[in-house]
Formats: sequence, C-alpha cells, structure tokens
Amino acid sequence: MAGGGGGCVTLGGAQIRDLLDSKHNVLFDCDGVIWNGETAVTGAPEVVSLLKQRGKRVFFVTNNCTRPRENYVQKFSRLGFADVAEEEIFSSAYCSAAYLRDVARLQGKVYVIGCGGVMKELRDAGVPVAEEEDAEPGASIYTCPLDPDVKAVLVGYDENFTFMKLAKACCYLRSSECLFLATDPDPWHPLRGGRVTPGSGSLTAALETASSRKATVIGKPSCFMFDCIASQFGLDPARSLMIGDRLETDVLFGSNCGLTTVLTLTGVSTLQEALAFRDSQEPQQKHCAPDYVMESVADFLQALEE
Amino acid sequence: MAASKCTQLTAALSRQLLDSVDCVLFDCDGVIWRGDQAIPGAPEVISSLKKNGKRVFFVTNNSTKTQQMYADKLGKLGFDVTADEVFGTAYCSAVYLKNVCQLDGKVYLIGSNAMRQELEDVGIRPVGVGPDPVSGVQKDWANVPLDKEVQAVLVGFDEHFSYMKLNRALQYLCNPDCQFVGTNTDTRLPLEGGKAVPGTGCLLSAVETAAQRQAQVVGKPSNFMFECVASQFGLDPERCLMVGDRLDTDIMLGSNCGLKTLLTLTGVSTVAEAEANQKSECPQQQKMVPDYYIDSIADILPALQA
Repeated sequence: MAGGGGGCVTLGGAQIRDLLDSKHNVLFDCDGVIWNGETAVTGAPEVVSLLKQRGKRVFFVTNNCTRPRENYVQKFSRLGFADVAEEEIFSSAYCSAAYLRDVARLQGKVYVIGCGGVMKELRDAGVPVAEEEDAEPGASIYTCPLDPDVKAVLVGYDENFTFMKLAKACCYLRSSECLFLATDPDPWHPLRGGRVTPGSGSLTAALETASSRKATVIGKPSCFMFDCIASQFGLDPARSLMIGDRLETDVLFGSNCGLTTVLTLTGVSTLQEALAFRDSQEPQQKHCAPDYVMESVADFLQALEE
Repeated sequence: MAASKCTQLTAALSRQLLDSVDCVLFDCDGVIWRGDQAIPGAPEVISSLKKNGKRVFFVTNNSTKTQQMYADKLGKLGFDVTADEVFGTAYCSAVYLKNVCQLDGKVYLIGSNAMRQELEDVGIRPVGVGPDPVSGVQKDWANVPLDKEVQAVLVGFDEHFSYMKLNRALQYLCNPDCQFVGTNTDTRLPLEGGKAVPGTGCLLSAVETAAQRQAQVVGKPSNFMFECVASQFGLDPERCLMVGDRLDTDIMLGSNCGLKTLLTLTGVSTVAEAEANQKSECPQQQKMVPDYYIDSIADILPALQA
C-alpha cells in the first residue's frame, strides 16, 4: 500500500492491517501521539510492544530537546512502555550532536543556547562545548569576550535564554565559517490543558534576525533526523511509516523523507486542518496533508491483536 | 521639485530644496551623531535651519530614551534642541497605545525604564519591566499569574530580555483581544562607542514566532512616526524634508508620507544600494530611493549660511 498521496484517508479495519503488513519500520512522534505530558495515550504501550512482536522496527522521533535520551528511557518505562531502548530514541538534541560530530565533523567548539538535555547529548557525543562564564563581574551586553575555538552555534529550547546569550551568539555568527544550527523549528510547545510555552523556534527566530543568517534546522520537518536513523539502521523510506500529531512538523517530515504518513488526532492538529492542507493549491501546503488519519494509535490494536 | 530621483545634492540644489520646505525631520544615528559623537557640522546645521525659520524635528526608532533624555543627549553634543522636538519610539509607542489602540489599562512591557516612564506619562500602567529570571518548572510557566488589567503587550529594546519574559508575553498574547505592539524592527541597536548589539527586531521576532501573531509596529518605516509629529505641530507633508541614512526606514517613511527625502552617506546605506532600488521593478524597492543624496548633512551648511 503505497503512500496515499496526502489524501487524509480515514483508516479502518483491514486497511490498517494491510498498511502494517507493507511497512517494516514505524516511526512515532512522542508528544501528542504516544503520550500527553506524563500520561500515556491509552493503548500506546501495547501497540509498541505488539509492533515489535510482529517483527517491526520501532523508532521514536521527537523535536523535544529538553531531555537526554537516558531520561526518555526512564519516561518510557514510567509510562508503561516495556523495553524501549535508548538506541530507538531520536531526539533533536541527540541528532544535533550527531550532526555536529558525524556530518559537520566539527573541529572546534560549539556555542550553545540550550537546556540541560542539549548539553548532555553534546557531552555524550564528545562534542566540545564553549563554557558559559556566568555573570562575570563587569560583564554587560556591551562587551563580548569571544572564545576563538568556537566554530558552530547551536540554538535550542533554553529556559535560561538571555539577551547576553543572543548578543554572544550573534558575535560568533559574524564569521561565515561558523556553523549555525537549530535543534528544531517549533514556535511553541504544547503543555497540558491546551497551554503553550515558547519553543526553540522562537529563540532561533531572534538569532536569525540578529545575524541575518538562516539556521540549518535539525529537527522535523527537516530530513536530518531520518538520515540519522537511516545511517544507523539502514531504513528504506518506502517501507517506513511516520505517525505524528503535528501537520507542519511530523507529516511534512514524513513527506519530505518519502515516508507514508499517519496523523493521529490525540495531539495538536485537527482533521479540519489536515483537510485544509489537502485541498490547498500550494505544493508546500499539500505536503503537510497526511496519507492517513486515525483517532489514536490505539486504532492499531485491533489489527495487531488478530 | 525634480521628477528625477537619487540626485546628488549640489550647493545650488541645496538652496532650492531648502526654499521648498518649512520643516526638516532628521533621523539621529548615522545622520546627526554616531554613537556618542556629533557628526562634524551637524549642530551648526540645526541652528542654521532654525535661524532660517525652518522647524526641526528628530525621528528615531531607538526606544531606550525618553524625549527629555534625548534632549539632554543632544544638548551635551552641542545641539540646540527642546524635548518636544524629539520623537523616539518610547514616546511614540506610548502615544500610539493611548490614541490608536485606545488603551485604558495596563500593558505588559518588554522594554526599558524610558519606555515605562513615557507610558506612565500618558496614563498607561506598565507591568514587567526589569529582570525576570525563570523559576519553577516548565509546567508552571504556562500558569504564570496574568494581570487581568493588561490589555496589550508592548515590545521594545530590553537588555533584560529572557525566556521568562518571552513566556509571559506569549501567555498574554494567547488572548486574541490582547493587542500586540512593537516599537521597531531594526535588527541592530547602535551603541555609544561605535559597537552594536542585537536590536528590538530580534526580540520582536521571538515573540511573534512564539505567539504566531504579527505586531503592530510603531517605528519607521511605519507612517505613525511622521503622523505623531505632524498631528502635534500641524505639518504639511509637501513642505517637509526627511533626512536619513537608511533606505529601508528613513527614506521609505518619507516616500510613504509624501515627504521630500535626502539620504546622507554618514551611516548605513550607500548610493549604490539606492541606485539598485531605482533600477528595480519592485514597487517596494522603488519607495527606497531618495530624492537626493549628500555625503554629510554638514554639506548643506554653505547653502544655509549664504
């Protein structure tokens, strides 16, 4: 069952089984797909287990860069997902570190605007991070001591974002040889109860405006995260399924990478929005329309339990 | 006046141009001063214009000073100026919120003490000025206590900009009835001493991205900066000359408001850029072509003193 061409087809019964039979790899977004905050989506842990039992390879692809992978392993366990291994988890923080080490082959340090999760992944990957001198006396936004070893700037979600960091990053980016990376483009992150908090995308926007440069974005909808998985596990896009809840992120990612896409309605995007993208005249918008739509990943259960 | 554009302002043309206007509006940085130094000859130009019976005003996108603070700075640099002649975006934003937004309550302010002062002077109560470091955990941030009397978010230059401020602005802006105003979109803020730091435009990008909303922008090239002066002093656009160093703010403002425009080359833009705009097919670029250009405003002194 090849990609439905962004047709937003509602999946039921035998179609689900046929879809699964045609795919070897299943990639799940996390927030809004398999869990919401600290609560697993009903049926999600069982779906993941059953997929593995059926011989499918399962991966988790998340733009959320706030946790290192080992924390994700703990969260999976806490929420009732049995045996999710670190190797199966691809976060934008992990992939940014992998990109710097393996693709950019960074010779030098990276100046980071990012949270603990990002820092940990960089350290684990062996990528040297420029040390942040905290509030040295006499420092102000008007002085900018630069580390000459910095050859890249990485911006991601940072709850300690300050004007000083923006100014410093901007100084580094004046050199055209300095790489400019962003973990993910998400303008806001959903929190429980329909609330939101500013995302990496908003901080990246500040830095892009300041430097008049565009960041290379690692996270969805860019293909880097898929390339990262593929380089480790040899995935065939035609045999891979992407399941997500955010049309402009997950579905566009799937589309960009040549995967079949499924939108679940347990998260951010709605069926109406999906249909609007499907019916749009603009090619870029059409790529945000999923091949299939499901209420929830639990809809896979019936097909898997047979 | 001449139908052709982008003409070098010779001494003869200077005389003609000055006779055709009653009022001259000057941008500040790059035109009459650079950082903390007056452009040589600039103070004499201002005095001479006034002796010749011309009214003189200063129109700047910088939001870090009140009218009085600008008058003080100009006084120190040798300019003969009164506070009511200087229109910075701190003052103009306050007027905008009061008169255009019809604000009657509080505003969540990302900005300077100068902005706070100008707002208070027109009877608007700002909240949020000063440092605002993050505390608590992520799920607390969507639930920061919101002041119910806040009717607008105003973003100007703020060296204390932080994730927490960005977050608070986002929470307020989730209410579509909350108005959203920015002082200006300049990407760099020139400082005393010739350096520059990221400008308000960067902070505004962050807030606009997080909130997925566009701000109403007060500063050049928005017409409001001219209208603010014109409505207070009864100016006839056809008898006004706008003198600036930036094609995309000063000259664009002049074009949009039907003023005569003079580009001075002591700042950002070049003649080559102006000529490129002139040759362009794009209507927006056509607005960024000055009537005249001059190396420095000091060059009109002979015509004034003749």
